[in-house]
Amino acid sequence: MAASALGWALRAARQVLPSPCPRQVRSYYVDWRMLRDVKRRKLAYEYADERLRINAIRKNTILPKELQEVADKEIADLPRDSCPVRIRNRCVLTSRPRGVKRRWRLSRIVFRHFADHAQMSGIQRAMW
Amino acid sequence: SSVLSTEKDKSDSKDSTTEVASKSRESAAETPKQKLLDIIGNMKVEVSYRKKLQELKTREIKKQAADKLEGPDSEGAMLQRTTEDMQRGKPLNPDLVEAASAVASSLPLNKKQTESELLAQLRRHEETTDKQKKGGIINIRNVISEMAVKRQSPAQRAVRISNRISLELDEDGQRIKPERLSQSFDSRRYFRCFFFFVYRSLKVGRRLNIFTKASTETENALKKVSSPTIWDLEFAKEIAAITAQPPRNGFEEMIQWTKEGILWEFPIDNEAGMEDDAEFHEHIFLEKHLEDFPKQGPIRHFMELVICGLSKNPYLSVKQKIEHIEWFQKYFEEKKEFLQEI
Repeated sequence: MAASALGWALRAARQVLPSPCPRQVRSYYVDWRMLRDVKRRKLAYEYADERLRINAIRKNTILPKELQEVADKEIADLPRDSCPVRIRNRCVLTSRPRGVKRRWRLSRIVFRHFADHAQMSGIQRAMW
Repeated sequence: SSVLSTEKDKSDSKDSTTEVASKSRESAAETPKQKLLDIIGNMKVEVSYRKKLQELKTREIKKQAADKLEGPDSEGAMLQRTTEDMQRGKPLNPDLVEAASAVASSLPLNKKQTESELLAQLRRHEETTDKQKKGGIINIRNVISEMAVKRQSPAQRAVRISNRISLELDEDGQRIKPERLSQSFDSRRYFRCFFFFVYRSLKVGRRLNIFTKASTETENALKKVSSPTIWDLEFAKEIAAITAQPPRNGFEEMIQWTKEGILWEFPIDNEAGMEDDAEFHEHIFLEKHLEDFPKQGPIRHFMELVICGLSKNPYLSVKQKIEHIEWFQKYFEEKKEFLQEI
């Protein structure tokens, strides 16, 4: 049981791309938390429509309440990782959960590192 | 004397037959050669032919002179015939010659003369047939010279020409021809005649059989392709890997990225990837999808609100909207019993 789970996790961690890519590609995620975040994002994408529709039934004043309660139960039955609330915008390179700028998807430290090396397009040290 | 004459006639006929036979043998042997000679020089034939034939005939005469029963008469006849032969170009079909001689012999008067006349007729017939076979080169000049000059009114002329030459463009809606009255007759006649002959020659004549008829091949029905095996997929992957060379410069790299979808296409198309061929009314008037729902009740109210919201949504395609409505339909169908309890 543990071995199978480990094997599956390893395979997930490897994430080998199917198409032959001549460039250098990172074949592992930074850490397991990042991997879990990736899984959550995928599931959230899959169940997005259903969740939207069931929520439309729930957040309703027209339909009977019994129906809404049934809808509540239904949405609770969906996998927990399918809700978008559990997604955390981590840094793409370091998997840092905090201090991440949304536009660049990078944590502040990495951002600063790249900006100082002039590898961020249009970023300049502020001076006024 | 009558007996003598009959005997003479018989012998004459015999001689003529033998002579004819010999001549026919000769002619049979010589026909290919003489045919060739004919083909080479039509005009010059008579002179050379005459000489050759003369030689051959004299030889034959000398050979047959020994076998001859009767002397001068037959020889004279032979000589006469040879000269006649020499005068004509081509020898006749031996069967025809024999038939002519038989006819002549059957007729009462002057067999030799009739025979010679018949042979002459045959030769003339042969000549004409030869000419036709070789191939009716329509000498346009001869034909045109035979044609008489006819005065026509310009309108008639124009009509006729326009009828034959359908390619003439009418400018200003009027015929061009009447303006060219001053042109000479000959040129136009030539033109017309030439056109006439061209038109005729296109439709008339034996088929050349150069081009084979384009066979209307029935398009091969799509062969049932079985799903590609693993080996095929691997092979395809291998080929793709080999052919995909690393980019030599930045441009090729950008091309590759664009193909993969990493780089957008410039100038940027705001509707890239969005292919909605539906009209606006299909987006807005979605009530027709509400037919399966009950007309009264909260569900109908709810669905009308849903449709109102969908009609204002520019981000979804018509297909997605229809799917949305269908999902709700399915959901309420499942909950029907539950709803009826309420």
